[in-house]
Amino acid sequence: MSADKRAVPVAYLDHGATSWPKPQPVIDAVVRALTELGGNPGRGAYAMALDASRAIFEARRACAQLLGVADSRDLLFQSGCTAGCNLMLKGTLKPGDRVVVGSMEHNAVARPLAHLARLGIEIAVVKADRTGLIDPDDVERAVRQEPTRAVVCQHASNLTGTIQLVGDLADIAHEHGAIMLVDGAQGVGHLEVDIAALGVDAYAASGHKGMLGPQGVGLLYLAPGLEADVQIEGGTGAGGSESLEMPAERPDRYEAGTANTPGIVGLGAAAGFLAGEGAAQRDLEADLARRLHEGILGIEGFRVLGPPPGVPRVPIVSAVHERVDGDRIAFVLDRTYGIAARAGLHCAPWAHDTVGTFECGAVRFGVGWGTTGAHIELALRALHEIVSS
Amino acid sequence: MSVREPRTFAIFGFATTHTALAAEQLLKDLGVPVTPIPAPKSLGGALCGIALRIDPLDAERAELLLERADLSPRARGEIEDV
Ligand SMILES: Cc1ncc(COP(=O)(O)O)c(C=O)c1O
Repeated sequence: MSADKRAVPVAYLDHGATSWPKPQPVIDAVVRALTELGGNPGRGAYAMALDASRAIFEARRACAQLLGVADSRDLLFQSGCTAGCNLMLKGTLKPGDRVVVGSMEHNAVARPLAHLARLGIEIAVVKADRTGLIDPDDVERAVRQEPTRAVVCQHASNLTGTIQLVGDLADIAHEHGAIMLVDGAQGVGHLEVDIAALGVDAYAASGHKGMLGPQGVGLLYLAPGLEADVQIEGGTGAGGSESLEMPAERPDRYEAGTANTPGIVGLGAAAGFLAGEGAAQRDLEADLARRLHEGILGIEGFRVLGPPPGVPRVPIVSAVHERVDGDRIAFVLDRTYGIAARAGLHCAPWAHDTVGTFECGAVRFGVGWGTTGAHIELALRALHEIVSS
Repeated sequence: MSVREPRTFAIFGFATTHTALAAEQLLKDLGVPVTPIPAPKSLGGALCGIALRIDPLDAERAELLLERADLSPRARGEIEDV
């Protein structure tokens, strides 16, 4: 087949955007949801609706167990990390509040914050260093300056792979009476995430990236007692339909409308899969990302963003070449070699600005489940050929 | 032909389907038989989700167990079955 017609890549290296392929248990769970769990969960007591409700219940428990959430009612299914970030930010911040935020944030955080700024919320941005790391001391200084409602930070960067010290940031926030809100899109799956141990107040996660679930589903953890203003009102099935108020109880309060049963059930299967295979997978992908990182540094004219080799990162490796543009590299990688990688700004203009690549962008490789040593070899050979020709 | 006497069951209604299912699982795990049923109108309000039907002799113990697990019913009632 010609490269033009080839849709399935030879080497899929865009796990930062979404994971592919999916583990078989995830596929099986989605198929089961579509074939056997046809009823509307929470909306009926006949057997098929109950089975759907039960499957969602089990999926929530599996996700809670994976993420160290004691009461699974505090873990809300959302349409993705973006929806979770919107609820976490717009639901908890009020005009007059001050927010301290890191400069590496994705637009899933930056845009809701820009919206909130227009409503009278003060945003203080703490700049990361050139490796993308937010220094907790800088956050402490910013929080000390003025009364602060929240510290907001990603768990890991979708550009540089930098892992932020969110546990330390949570301690700082709490010492100063602020809450800690985390965008964990690039964390879960690639990192072992124990939300209780991190001590954060809210944590938004993406279901379809390192968690290996289907697209269109994500999670938001809200600490017990942290109430967020509801962003989407509607039917919840159970308890008190006569009332025009959303129920006070979780999870229903934040889950109006028919659930994404196939997505949620798939995510539950992914959580179970990660509980078993996650540790080995994390070791493997860290090793592959390091090989890729060191290999790219060995090709003339390239620099790699983020921490140097040897410093832990999530398996994202973004590179800039001194002569050849990232978009050209990504195009040739796809067309000539069948390698899926992503160029541009990665929905993260703040982050590119921080590390000095706003003008040129970068080509980003995301390693994940299904990536092999052969994929890394192919990518390195391709990069070498592209910039040498 | 045998005619069964109508029986009265206790029913518990819950604020959310999640809590109802958690309660069902907990009670079953502890050996208390329960059956999910459509929440009847008699529970008050329009609880359009599921309720748990339970033997009245088990109701008090069940409620205690649920309370301890932070899964208390929102509404209680009775239902006749044949
Ligand atoms: C850091 C970060 N936050 C949020 C998102 C949005 O996640 P989702 O696609 O689940 O809405 C992404 C995905 O690109 C991301 O990389």
